[in-house]
Amino acid sequence: MNLARRPASLWLADALVVAAIAAWAFGARSLPEFVLPGPLAVAERMWVLFTDLEFLSHTVASTVRVLASVLIALLLGGGLALLARSVPLLDGVISGLLAPFLNAFPSIGWAILAAIWFQPGHLSIVFVQVAILTPFCLINVAEGLRQVDREMIEMARSFTRRRGRVLASVTLPLLLPYLAGALRIAYGVAWKIALVAELLGSTSGLGFLMLRAQGSADLTTVLAACLAIVALFWAGERLLLDPVARRFAAR
Amino acid sequence: MSAAIGGAGPGAVRGAPGAPSPLARRAVAAAFLAVLAAAWIGSTGRVPAYLLPPPGEVGAAMLSLVATPTRAAHLGATLAHIAASIAIAFAGGALLAFAAHYARWSAPAIHGRLGPFLSAFSGIGWTLLGVIWFGVSSFTVVFTIVAVLLPFAMVNLREGLVALDAELLEMGRAFGRRRGAALRLLVLPSLVPFAAATLRIMFGVAWKVTLTAELFGGGRGLGYVINVARQDYDTATLFAVIAFIIVAVTLADRLVFAPLERATTRQFGGRR
Repeated sequence: MNLARRPASLWLADALVVAAIAAWAFGARSLPEFVLPGPLAVAERMWVLFTDLEFLSHTVASTVRVLASVLIALLLGGGLALLARSVPLLDGVISGLLAPFLNAFPSIGWAILAAIWFQPGHLSIVFVQVAILTPFCLINVAEGLRQVDREMIEMARSFTRRRGRVLASVTLPLLLPYLAGALRIAYGVAWKIALVAELLGSTSGLGFLMLRAQGSADLTTVLAACLAIVALFWAGERLLLDPVARRFAAR
Repeated sequence: MSAAIGGAGPGAVRGAPGAPSPLARRAVAAAFLAVLAAAWIGSTGRVPAYLLPPPGEVGAAMLSLVATPTRAAHLGATLAHIAASIAIAFAGGALLAFAAHYARWSAPAIHGRLGPFLSAFSGIGWTLLGVIWFGVSSFTVVFTIVAVLLPFAMVNLREGLVALDAELLEMGRAFGRRRGAALRLLVLPSLVPFAAATLRIMFGVAWKVTLTAELFGGGRGLGYVINVARQDYDTATLFAVIAFIIVAVTLADRLVFAPLERATTRQFGGRR
């Protein structure tokens, strides 16, 4: 990396980040800790979130549930989109009724319904997150199926009559970029919006931790949890989604 | 059924035997709805009403949502929160996107630092922070929605600015050197379809976060109504609010935002 060749605007961008943190530190000095804790205190608490066993259990619980929900939603949404495509009679039910219904359903509505319907626990939270994420996957994969080259499918069908083979060696590979796109959207929504599932009737997770900390005016923990979510989101993008996208875009 | 995945097999050609007509698809969809409705009506008396309220109760609760003055006021508060947030986030996103486009040195700071940070920040986090900083108020609700919507506005308007036709702008410069005129006559009209698409996305996302923000951070709005209903185990009102939102969002999307997007694309040119 040649630092001398780095454009001045990039240096400026980093300088602005440093300036923002400095302004935060300066502002925090004259404000009480329950209004604005300093960056150092928040950084220390973030460190605790990833090292202290009790806090780590919340961080891990959220992360595992997010990953599980995203995978289930992708399978469910993708499966529904494939079903609508392969059984055109059901298309009206899936794309015409189910997709808009799930898409417009308020996320907090699922959270409250799950709190009424189910025992509190991991399953209830995963249910809410899957309900929120599925429409995003369904709509994206359905769009991908529309874009899949029809002539490729036709050619494949002239070589074999086994539908499983066409699906596995032609349709799915062509669909992979859209599956990767659906994965990226669902992952983002899971961290940003679907965490409401942890606010009602939950005793674990970063959402629960934030709500509990807010109740006791512990702003340091609220901010640390917020920034931990930002960090986990970025880490997932860099370590999981970007490699997946690169791998499948090349085909 | 002869149609395979992809629906393009010889048997699935339009009009060929085996391909269902649109009428058949609608009939299946209608039958599906009818079965669901019958199951719901049949559940009355068999399932406790706090788990699944009967349709009659939900209908009455929906009516009271618009007919009872206090509830109608909450509905109005939610609509006001959403309208104000979309307007503020759109203006702020446009300002940032224009700044990054015309003052190139600010682009990495805006799209490389601020944008990714805002898009990774959780909506609940904004709400809980807002409650601490601004108290339980409409301001907290609007603050949350704006913070969630801002990155959507930035990203989508940036796409519009990137897609501007360079040759068209060059032609504009050949006819006149006034930047104001070029902006008014060329840039803004080309951006209109992107603005319409941005508004449509923002409207959809706004509904996803508004009720949560109102439940935890605002004393008014439909989020407050469902919070009270939750504590009273008044599932009928909960269902009514959810049903109302699904109907309102779907109708607004189909009757306002989709036609707006189509009309502006026709009028001002599509995405390149």
